[in-house]
Amino acid sequence: MPFVPDPEIGNRIITLMAALVLVLQIAAVGQRGIVSSIRIFAVQSFLLGAIAAVIAYFNQASHIYVVALLTVFLKAGLLPRLLERLVERIGIRREIEPLINVPLSILISGGLTLLGYVVAESFYHPEETSARAALGHNTLAVAVALFLIGFFVMVNRRKALTQVLGLLSLENGLFLAAISLTYGMPLVVEIGIFFDVLVAVLVLGILVFRIGETFDSMDVSKLRKLRE
Amino acid sequence: MIEVLINSALQLVLLLLLAPLLSGAIKTLKARLQMRRGPGILQPYRDILKLLRKGMVIPETASWIFSAAPYMVFATATLVGLMIPMTTTHAPFSLFGGVLAVVYLLALGRFFLALGGLDTGSSFGGLGSSREMTISAIAEPAMMLAIFTVALGANSTNLSEMAKVAVGQSWRFLAPSQMLAFAALFIVLIAETGRIPVDNPATHLELTMIHEAMILEYSGPYLALIEWGASIKQLVLMTLLVNTFFPFGLSSDWTLQTIGVGLAFYLAKLLMLACMIVLVETTNAKLRLFRVPELLMVAFILGALALISTFLF
Repeated sequence: MPFVPDPEIGNRIITLMAALVLVLQIAAVGQRGIVSSIRIFAVQSFLLGAIAAVIAYFNQASHIYVVALLTVFLKAGLLPRLLERLVERIGIRREIEPLINVPLSILISGGLTLLGYVVAESFYHPEETSARAALGHNTLAVAVALFLIGFFVMVNRRKALTQVLGLLSLENGLFLAAISLTYGMPLVVEIGIFFDVLVAVLVLGILVFRIGETFDSMDVSKLRKLRE
Repeated sequence: MIEVLINSALQLVLLLLLAPLLSGAIKTLKARLQMRRGPGILQPYRDILKLLRKGMVIPETASWIFSAAPYMVFATATLVGLMIPMTTTHAPFSLFGGVLAVVYLLALGRFFLALGGLDTGSSFGGLGSSREMTISAIAEPAMMLAIFTVALGANSTNLSEMAKVAVGQSWRFLAPSQMLAFAALFIVLIAETGRIPVDNPATHLELTMIHEAMILEYSGPYLALIEWGASIKQLVLMTLLVNTFFPFGLSSDWTLQTIGVGLAFYLAKLLMLACMIVLVETTNAKLRLFRVPELLMVAFILGALALISTFLF
C-alpha cells in the first residue's frame, strides 16, 4: 500500500501559509520603501512556491513540483533581483507616495479581503465536500483578496515601478487561485504563464527606465505632458 | 485549598521576581546581538534596589496624583498578572474577571501614568502623556480584537477557561485566525512595552521618547515602582501571548512534577518570545512618530481579519 499523507494536516499547513501570504500583502500596502516592497514580494512568492510544493506532496502530483521550483526560482529569485537592479540603476531610493494615506489604504485592503471572502464563499459547496474540495476553499478567498489588493496597489501608487509590483502581486493571486482550485494546470500552460510574467517584467522594466530617464522621475502622472 | 494557596503564592513570587530578570535578559541578548557586552542580566534588580534606597525629589507643583500614579501602575500590573495563567491553567484571580478586566486594568494603569506625567506641568511630561495616549488609542482595540478571537474559540472570556480549552486543541495554533491574532498581539506587545519600532527604551532623546518622557520627573522609590511595574506589565503581556497561543506544558492539576514541567515550558516559551523581540528591535529602525499609527493600524486590521476569519474558516 503506498503512503498516503493525511490531507487534514496538508489543509492546515496550506491554510496557514495562505494566511501568511495575506499578511505579507497587507504589510506591502503599508510599506513605504521601494526595496523593502520588492523583498516582501520575494518572500510572498517563496511562500507561494512552498504552497505549491505542499499541494504537490499531498495530492501526489509530481508535475506541480516543477511549478513550485519555477515559482521559487523565477518569482522569488530572478524577478526581485531584476527589479532591485533597476532601482539601483535609476537611483531613486525615495519613499513611495500613495495617493490615499497609509492607514486608510490598510483599512481599504482589509475591506477588500472581506470582499474576497464573500466572493469565495459562493464557490463553496459543503455538500460535495471531499478532502480535496476543502483544500481549496480557504485558499480561494485569500487568492481573490490578493488579486483585489494587487489591483488596489496599482491604482493607489504613482510611481511606475510600484505599479509593476502591484501587477506582480495580482499575478500571485491568480497563481494561488489556479493552483488551489485545479491542483496544477498542465505544465505547458504554467510555463507559458511564467514566461509571460518574465517578459512583462522585462518590458515594464525597460519602460520604467525610459520614463525615469525622460522625466527624471517615475511618476506616471507626468506622462500627461506627452500630449503637448 | 492549600494547593490553591501555594499556586497563588508561587505565581505572585514568580511575577515579581521574574519580571526584572526578563527585562535584563532582553537587554543582554540585544547587546550581544549588536556585538556589545552590555550590562549583566541582574542589572534591573540592582537598579531597583538602588532606587529604593534613594531619597525622592517631588516637584512643588505636584498634587496627590503624582504620588498615587506609581502605586497604581505597580498594583494594576500585578493584579493583571494574577489573572493570567502562567504555569498551570488555573490563574489565582481568574474568578475576579476575564479578558475585559485584564485590558481595562492595564488601561487604568496607563491612565494614571499619563496623569502623573501631566500632573507636574512640565512640558516633557505632557508631551509623553499625549503620545502614549495617541498610541494606546489604536493599540487597545487591536489588542481587544486579537484576544476576542481566542475567546471566541474557547467560548469564554475567562483566561483560565481559555487556557483549558486551548490545551485540549494542541493543533489549533495552525489555524489562520490564531496566527493573524498572534501577529496583531505581537505588534501591540511591541507598542505597549515601548520597544524599538515604536519607542526606544534606552534613550532620553526628547524628540523620540514616549515612556521616558512621562516619568521624567520621578525619582527614587517612585521611579523604582514605575520601572518595576513596567517590567511586570511586559511580563504579563508576554505571558498572555505565549500562553493563549501556545499552551504547551500548561497543566490542570497541581502536583510538584506538573508544576515543574509547566515552569520549564513557560520559561522556554518566554525566552523564545524574548528572542523574537530582540530580533525585531535589532533589525528595525525606530519609526517616525507619525508613522506609528500606521503600524498599529496594521495590527488593528490583522486583529479584525482574525476575528472575522473565525466565522469563515
